[in-house]
Amino acid sequence: MPDKSDYLRTSGTFTPDIIEDIQVKAELGRYRIRGFGTLRERRWATFDDLTFIPCTLTRIPLEGYRERCSPKTLLGTRFAEKPIELEVPIMITGMSWGALSYNAKVALAKGANIVGSSNTTGDGGMLMAEREHSRTLIYEVLPSRYGIDVHHLQMADGIELTIGQGAKPGTGGLLLGSKVLDTVAEQRDLPLGVDQRSPARHPDFLGPDDMIIKIEELREATDWQVPIFVKMGATRVFDDVKLAAKAGADVIVVDGMEGGTGASAEICQEHTGVPTLAAVCEARAALEDLGLYGEVQLIIAGGIRHGVDAAKAMALGADAVYIGTAGLMALNCNKPIHVEDYHELGTEPYHCHHCHTGRCPVGITTQDPDLMKRLDIDEAAERVANLLQAMTSEIQILARACGKADVHDLDPEDLRALNLEASMICGIPLVGTNRVFGGGPGWKERE
Amino acid sequence: MADIICDGKTTRDINAEIKRLIANGETDICMRNPVARHNLGVAILQSVKLTFDGSVGYYCAGMVDGPTVEIKGSAGWGLAESMMGGTVTVEGNAGNGAAASIRGGTVVVHSDAASRLGVSMKGGLIIVGGNCGYMAGFMAQRGTMIVCGDTGEAFADSMYEAVCFVGGNIAELGNDAIIEQPTAEDLTFLESTLSQHLPSRVGNSQAPIRNFKKVVSGRKLWNFDKDERSVWREAL
Ligand SMILES: Cc1cc2nc3c(=O)[nH]c(=O)nc-3n(C[C@H](O)[C@H](O)[C@H](O)COP(=O)(O)O)c2cc1C
Ligand code: SF4
Repeated sequence: MPDKSDYLRTSGTFTPDIIEDIQVKAELGRYRIRGFGTLRERRWATFDDLTFIPCTLTRIPLEGYRERCSPKTLLGTRFAEKPIELEVPIMITGMSWGALSYNAKVALAKGANIVGSSNTTGDGGMLMAEREHSRTLIYEVLPSRYGIDVHHLQMADGIELTIGQGAKPGTGGLLLGSKVLDTVAEQRDLPLGVDQRSPARHPDFLGPDDMIIKIEELREATDWQVPIFVKMGATRVFDDVKLAAKAGADVIVVDGMEGGTGASAEICQEHTGVPTLAAVCEARAALEDLGLYGEVQLIIAGGIRHGVDAAKAMALGADAVYIGTAGLMALNCNKPIHVEDYHELGTEPYHCHHCHTGRCPVGITTQDPDLMKRLDIDEAAERVANLLQAMTSEIQILARACGKADVHDLDPEDLRALNLEASMICGIPLVGTNRVFGGGPGWKERE
Repeated sequence: MADIICDGKTTRDINAEIKRLIANGETDICMRNPVARHNLGVAILQSVKLTFDGSVGYYCAGMVDGPTVEIKGSAGWGLAESMMGGTVTVEGNAGNGAAASIRGGTVVVHSDAASRLGVSMKGGLIIVGGNCGYMAGFMAQRGTMIVCGDTGEAFADSMYEAVCFVGGNIAELGNDAIIEQPTAEDLTFLESTLSQHLPSRVGNSQAPIRNFKKVVSGRKLWNFDKDERSVWREAL
């Protein structure tokens, strides 16, 4: 009997995935929506294509126990009276209460607080409990302005003017009706159960010229006390970062294509934006081009999984990183518990990307009180704190090995590219050649 | 009453002076010659009276909660955006995005409002004596918008629970916007609201109250329905 593979032929064009996609849309009648972020196999250059080259004889490493390697992070030194001081360079990104459950929001706030990190609100306004539990809370001002409240704005330690997100640049937020319930609907001023689709543009400014005035408004509203961040999805990063810096941002957040989301059109997650590795290189070059590197701080987000990604992003130019999905994983996302509920969603632990359904098996991306109860706030907060601490220690061990007494002293010279693509994108020598192949927009050879 | 002479002062100086006067108990402050400077009187949270004796730039009275603001000229973009309470009145025209995303309070524009009036409004009351530009009321969630004159295209597009009244012609209704017959209570509300905020307009009866059209959401875009193909072809 012939083996099936002898006679079964698979189309390279109409693969089983494509056939399934066509058939789902033939039922659905619209683009597909889901959460999580891109699921594509990573065939583009990533942080994995770089390696650190620690001290050997040309440089001296630092000792672990005795010699300090400071992870303290200062953000917003350009114009704000009160820059943000953090104990660690890893921050919790903005994820809306609505996309996330109350328990998840509070656990993230508490966990970040334990290690002196920060938390960020999200599309839907400020939850009082996250304010109470955060020493440092950043307040997002998004195109939808859901829950916008000047009193909350004035309670924040930083304001983030969000232009877009890496998972879905150029489009607005989505929250399907199953999650627009009770207090979430009330805080957003929406009818119960609507499929909420928020605007892609801010209601009161369009381009970068208007944004200069918008940023001044936010400063006037907060008496120039707190830093103003501008967050963008990574697209034309070199130009966009320059425009944001010229518009007066203290801190620029660039969220790469691998960024997570609560719910978006699947095609946007898979086919729009620039990967995080390229984004950080372009962003740094843009600030250097303006002579503002170091004066305007850079936060990088999008698929940051561990301290190694964070350390590489920082060596390439980031002052800090935001984590979203990794933080949710510390809360138990994709953990093999309540397995029958993953099956109910048609998925398995380690494969779940069903945040949009509101039926999160582990109580994170849900508004269902029974599911939410599965997330114990204090235990989850401990895990978030441990993760942030562990990631920081990973950055520190790499920085010490590279002879750096401050994690922010990591620089591109501490890295080598493992392949041509990474060398071309980062302008970093390819291993074994000591030659740089390429370099992105604005890249200049370092002395 | 206290005066602030704005000539030669920066926005920051003027706003700091307003806040200092309020902190000292002043309740009636007039800004002389504001020369259309941007961001004047933003985020004022007290029930004071602020008068701008001339035109103002972008975001005047943005994010306020409580004051009574009078602008004796025209206003730039984003007038009173995201306000939560109080009253903001402009004697002239208002630029794009006036009263965008307000959650409460009242914004009155005696003359015309440009495009994107009341976009994403979440509550409150907007009254325009003249005409408004395109996309007014886009994605408006709650609250009431009254335009005595004509509207531009895409009026009241993709709204949730906001209610609009129009005295003149609607150049084009937005997606999912429908015209309803105003109820008797609606007409009484219009009569009393307009005579309170725009007495001259009601007096010259350019748009008799009984001719006002009421525009609300058809609610077809609230939840996706694949059988409503023609609606969603435009909207998704
Ligand atoms: C569940 C979830 C909800 C999110 N909600 C928001 C939001 O409300 N506002 C926002 O700017 N970004 C939001 N994001 C995007 C994150 O702020 C961030 O840009 C992204 O998650 C970073 O990528 P990472 O998840 O790979 O770390 C959300 C992401 C997730 C996973
Ligand atoms: S486990 Fe919950 S948070 Fe994680 S992907 Fe699934 S639905 Fe989303």
